[in-house]
Amino acid sequence: MDEFSIAGQVVGGKFGDIIIRQKSGNDLEIGDLMVSEENGSFLILQVFSLEYGSQIQDRMQQMMSGVNLEQGSDAQFYEPEFVNYVLARIKPLARVYNENCEVKIPKSLPSFFNKLRLITKDDLKFLQKEKDSIFVGYIRSGSKVIKEAEVWLPAEDVFSHHVLIPATTGRGKSNLVKTILWHVLDSNKVGALVLDAHDEYFGRIGVGLKDHPRAKDNLVYYTPSNPPVGANRLTINLQSIRPEHFEGIVDFSDAQFQAIRTYHWKSKDGWLTTLMLTDPDSATDQIAASTMSVIQRKMRLILGLTKDEEGHLVSKHEVFDSATKGFTTVDDIVQDIEQGKVVILDTSRLGDEAELIVGNIIASKLFEKYKAYKAVGELARKPVVTVIIEEAPRVIGVDVLTRNNDNIYATIAKEGRKFKVGLMAITQLSSVIPRTILANMNTKIILGNEMKQEREAIIASASQDLSEDDRNIASLDKGEAIISSIFVPFAMPVKIPLFEDIVKEKGSKVRPEKTKVF
Amino acid sequence: MLFAHLSDIHLGFQKHEALQKIEQTVFEKALDECISRKVDFILIPGDLFHVNIPEMRVQKFAFAKFRQVHEAGIPVYVVYGSHDSSPVSNSVIDLLVAIGYISKVTKVKDSEDGKIVLDFLVDPKTGAKICGFSGLKVGKDREYYEKLDRDSLEVESGFKIFLFHGGISDMKTEAGIERDHMPLSLLPKNFDYYAGGHMHKWNHQSFDGYSNVVYPGTPFAGFHSDLEENSKGQKRGFVLVEFEDKIKDVSFVELENTSYEIIEIDANNRKADSINKELLEKTQGIDPVNKVVIIKIDGEMTSGKTSDVDISGIRESLYQREASAVEISKNRLTSLEYRITEAKGENKAEIETNVFSENIGQLQFKAKNLIGDLGVALAKKLLSELGQPALENEKKADYASRIRQDALGVLGLKLDDS
Repeated sequence: MDEFSIAGQVVGGKFGDIIIRQKSGNDLEIGDLMVSEENGSFLILQVFSLEYGSQIQDRMQQMMSGVNLEQGSDAQFYEPEFVNYVLARIKPLARVYNENCEVKIPKSLPSFFNKLRLITKDDLKFLQKEKDSIFVGYIRSGSKVIKEAEVWLPAEDVFSHHVLIPATTGRGKSNLVKTILWHVLDSNKVGALVLDAHDEYFGRIGVGLKDHPRAKDNLVYYTPSNPPVGANRLTINLQSIRPEHFEGIVDFSDAQFQAIRTYHWKSKDGWLTTLMLTDPDSATDQIAASTMSVIQRKMRLILGLTKDEEGHLVSKHEVFDSATKGFTTVDDIVQDIEQGKVVILDTSRLGDEAELIVGNIIASKLFEKYKAYKAVGELARKPVVTVIIEEAPRVIGVDVLTRNNDNIYATIAKEGRKFKVGLMAITQLSSVIPRTILANMNTKIILGNEMKQEREAIIASASQDLSEDDRNIASLDKGEAIISSIFVPFAMPVKIPLFEDIVKEKGSKVRPEKTKVF
Repeated sequence: MLFAHLSDIHLGFQKHEALQKIEQTVFEKALDECISRKVDFILIPGDLFHVNIPEMRVQKFAFAKFRQVHEAGIPVYVVYGSHDSSPVSNSVIDLLVAIGYISKVTKVKDSEDGKIVLDFLVDPKTGAKICGFSGLKVGKDREYYEKLDRDSLEVESGFKIFLFHGGISDMKTEAGIERDHMPLSLLPKNFDYYAGGHMHKWNHQSFDGYSNVVYPGTPFAGFHSDLEENSKGQKRGFVLVEFEDKIKDVSFVELENTSYEIIEIDANNRKADSINKELLEKTQGIDPVNKVVIIKIDGEMTSGKTSDVDISGIRESLYQREASAVEISKNRLTSLEYRITEAKGENKAEIETNVFSENIGQLQFKAKNLIGDLGVALAKKLLSELGQPALENEKKADYASRIRQDALGVLGLKLDDS
């Protein structure tokens, strides 16, 4: 190590809380990654706290300040870089062995008085892109981005073991999801169902996933009205809806659910239309008129259904159809996902519950099929599937799961891993997701969060020890993240590139060429 | 004013003589109807023929009928379908165009700069403005729509018709149809009528910006499954459209084709003997005289080979009882004992190797060259020989004989070895 690269020296502390003195001229930051070269290996350490140190007593310093401030003089310390300095508290993240780039969890301290330097790209050679992996961002040391050190996660493992993206508004979560999906689009190894509540991923206006060079083959976009050229109309026939799709999403009483099941049993595929068009006073099986009225009112509100003047059932937001359209939409979507495509559903016109029901219908079918594939030994040939859901506590929150039965999202979170179906849950409120589910989410991409309670929930369920990272998480800027996962050797600080920059660099370019038409 | 819309006639598809007759009769009846109803023009958006150059018999009756239509002063507007298209204008459609019996409506004004600008063909009598695209195999025509300059078409005033040949996913009524489909949004908006081909069932729907998207379906059959649908009561025919400056009425004209009997057998968890027994009982219980008999056997047998199900005997007896045709579908009949396991690969050759390798373990032969890696190599070679196309101008019988000889050669056998 040359003298110029030295940033500090170990002067004390204990395992997990090592104190170094910062070399003058350096400007260490919270989150900076440092390297302590040892015999045959090196330690990667991270700054988690900074404080002042001085050889002069506090009272003396305060008096000198008084002289400067009150008498207008400019008193200086003699050789100030020796007497006043910065102490950084650092923790070891990983030990890397020089010979084979093997990365292990550190179990010892760096040598006392060892000189440390800031990390460089050469120290991160172990971060190699594996086949079928997904790019998440660049390694970040403090606020410095090491662009040569890209972080790639093994796609099949990460997606089947569920991903949690905890973030508050404006910290770059949609940028992160778009970045991940952009790389998912590179191949057909991962199928994704995206419930896009803000219609922000496809890029209907401005850049989006549609600009990916393979979007034509691997991206499918469904929107309820006025689909752009090449996109699909999101219309689901009411015959695709079954009573269980409401479970864990809509609050129906036992009597109401019983009535719903009765109609399903009696009218089969056309049950919902029959139920909605039946006069409450003439309901079958002695179902009380009041029960029927409540069910009809709830369905009307949730699914946006109304009766037109000819007595036909119509959907206000055009997503549900009771007549001739949308018979195969669910099957088509499931088929696309099974082929490793990214399917985006623009649910921005739907209410919360309707959006979740649409997702429920598709995710249930997908999950059933994947279970069947496992039963016949065909699962290995299928791509891993991820279901991306925003505001995840709506379906996997403590109150929802205690109030209602499990819904498909909770089922996937609990047992989807066995069937190569995972959840990518995005939330501002990790604290309201049960610990059992949080613990199953084996990759967490933590963006900035100013709420202490939320940070505590994330830290408590992280795959690595983040107990000293509370302030670090609080101070994450937009686009900065920490990846805690069982698939990375240590909690990795990353910088997620701006999606617009990715599109600019790698997006499809229109090549004017003559087309032969015959 | 009135026009007729037919599609997916698939002339030349039928191999059985009785079915060929029905195919011809239905086609002639449809065009006779058009003449007698004095339509102003006829639209045929693709798959008029089953192949680009059908046998002479088919060409002969098709030309004769189109001459009649031409002499009746009825223009016929067409696009290629996925079955009868030819990238080098080497289709019998082009012959019909050349002698003026029909007109292709695809008129490209410009296709430079990554855009395709279409021009309208104007029907001289009614002033209807018509344009459209042909359908290509495996959805390759999708590129046309992606590059189409739709603005110029959408702003055009007047009564407009768009011809296309392709499945529209928004109109699918059954899951599991693997044929290529495209979203409706690929078609230009604001036409009065969208004359579709490719979907074999009558379907008429309207959407925002797309009024009257219509498939008449095949008037008889273009796939084997169509005959099965017919036997279950699927209506076949064509569409008549009344219009002025807007569509006034769209109606379906049903054409009778023939009488059917269908026998369906569920082979799941059964053995060949029991299936044969049910097959015999069911065939004895029908009156097959002058009827097309469809036999459909689906499911997974518990043991034995699918060939143990005695089809030929049943077929023979039905013909003796004067069935006009017997169509047997056992594509979805499998056996637990001999199930083909699928396998993936990066390319065709790799997929073939992997499928053979996955499945060859099921075979038990004494001959070493039929099992293991040798067996896989032999199977691949045999498949390659069997996949050889016919030579130019080669007669069908010569082609069959050559392929048979080559295949036997691969197996190291001679014809009299049996």
